Amino acid sequence: MKGVFLDQITTVFFAICVAGLVLFSTLSAATLESLGDALPKKVMGWTKAGDDQIYDDQTIFEYIDGAAEVYRAYGMKKCFSRRYTHSEGSAIILDIFEMASPQDAFGVFTHDLDGDPLDLGQDALYRAGWYRFWKDRFFVSMTIDQESETADQAARELGKAVASLIGMDGPRPVILSYFPSEGLQSARIRFFHDSNLLNTHYYLSDENILHLNSRTDAALASYGGSRGSAEVLLVRYPDREKASRAHKDFLAHYLPDADAKGFALLENKRWSAVSLNGELLAVVLEADSRLLAEGLMKEIMEKACESR
Amino acid sequence: MAEAKRALTRRDFLRTGTCAAVGSVIGLPLLKPAASKAVEQSRVVLVRNKDVLRNGANIRAEILENMLDQAMCSLLNVPDAASGWRRLFKPDDVVGVKSNVWYHLPTPGELEAAIQKRLVDVGVKGENISVDDRGILRNPVFQNATTLINTRPMRTHHWSGLGTLLKNYIMFTPRPSKYHGNACERLGAIWQLPHVVGRTRLNILVMLTPHFHGVGPHSFSERYVWPYAGLIVSTDPVAADTTGARIIQAKRNLFFGKESPISPPPHHIAVADSRYGLGCSTPDRIQLVKLGWQEEVLI
Repeated sequence: MKGVFLDQITTVFFAICVAGLVLFSTLSAATLESLGDALPKKVMGWTKAGDDQIYDDQTIFEYIDGAAEVYRAYGMKKCFSRRYTHSEGSAIILDIFEMASPQDAFGVFTHDLDGDPLDLGQDALYRAGWYRFWKDRFFVSMTIDQESETADQAARELGKAVASLIGMDGPRPVILSYFPSEGLQSARIRFFHDSNLLNTHYYLSDENILHLNSRTDAALASYGGSRGSAEVLLVRYPDREKASRAHKDFLAHYLPDADAKGFALLENKRWSAVSLNGELLAVVLEADSRLLAEGLMKEIMEKACESR
Repeated sequence: MAEAKRALTRRDFLRTGTCAAVGSVIGLPLLKPAASKAVEQSRVVLVRNKDVLRNGANIRAEILENMLDQAMCSLLNVPDAASGWRRLFKPDDVVGVKSNVWYHLPTPGELEAAIQKRLVDVGVKGENISVDDRGILRNPVFQNATTLINTRPMRTHHWSGLGTLLKNYIMFTPRPSKYHGNACERLGAIWQLPHVVGRTRLNILVMLTPHFHGVGPHSFSERYVWPYAGLIVSTDPVAADTTGARIIQAKRNLFFGKESPISPPPHHIAVADSRYGLGCSTPDRIQLVKLGWQEEVLI
């Protein structure tokens, strides 16, 4: 009885902390409109061209078509778009997406991790004419239609200006702290809520067997190094009941042959495992050996216990 | 999720063969060959005219119309385009022209106008013709359509690898995102929906200025568009898409100076053939007729 009471206190405390964090992050940074007003009209040789555009979670489809689903899956509120053009004809397109939370801005950043890291915002990447970074609850994208040294320099200057206007940093998702650190490829972690996005990164099933939705936080990580390689998925549910139902369905649909500890040898000779701790579901999707799967699962469960 | 229904999972794929790129959707083998009877052979017409684009971009309507007529004659083996249109459409048809409005690269208005003109020439009443994209589920002409024409430009696409003719029908579903899994592998299923199945008589893949590489949130950059000045016309959407995909792949390899696979792989085209029996996805089953300008034809 005392344990249950303590659990309730913990849950209420956690809820207050989360609510406070959300409120803080909402109030503390610039609005998208104020960011737009404060942006430079000219960056090196590139000058603001045409009217700025603001899209919401419906009109965004008119702007970026099917890829809009990615941003909506992270609770996109608005997108600000501005075009800068150079007298010689090239353009830089700046898009600033205001997401539901800093965690979601981080998440949308992790959707595409191909590129070279940059020192911009909280994390930044560059690939063939595309700069992007996240900071607080904003995901910022700059695309250059004709790459050149000066266009790259201008995009970086513009990025710095946007990052400076955003000001403060935002927190990363708490769920990341459950990943064991040894062998973790931290620059390759994906954070998401949606089963479609999970399937994009790691095709699991045509049905939503893990019951992912906008209220679940999920993170997918890769492991490498001397212990071997593995893929690990963590999901945090709003309550134990939902976590328990997902655990049951995952076992039924994906690991019906799991042993009593939740481990199974897959058809490709790699190991998979699933385990539950309160609201946290941990899945070792594939590991080189049972030993590695057991080690990872043990560490995750220890971290989950410590955080409770 | 229904308790009784067993989900199709990654393990089903693993059972069928090796999974080349574990941890990524790329490389997952395709499941279940030939659920439907395969189409044996399809005819595809690729027509090009370098003069259709003024300054590499602006479309010259009269030349585009002429290209469409040439393609119809060749596709249906008829002496004049009017005979071809009469073979496919009747005066009492109700025709939905499924277009594409994506503002970076929409179906050209000049082509939509040419299609409407030819339908009117056949005797189809103006009020029984509608060109639409995102409003098709609410559009009375599409709701009552006896036949459909499918037309769109080809481009790289965030979810499906390529924006294809097959992909263009995703707006026939109220929840397009339902078909995004595994690089939109199941797009062919949309063509089997009751309000779609068997109604498409003509597919026109616009290759005037195709987009061969996506960058950024918009998956678009003018840098990766080139004046190919072509149309691909077929009654078989799979064969038309297969032909377009080969051209895009060749352009990517040429531009980047190395093998540059389309990513994600547009395997919905092959699946539309092998699983849904919608047409031919292998070049040996496609009778390709190339008309007009042959320079850098890439196929």
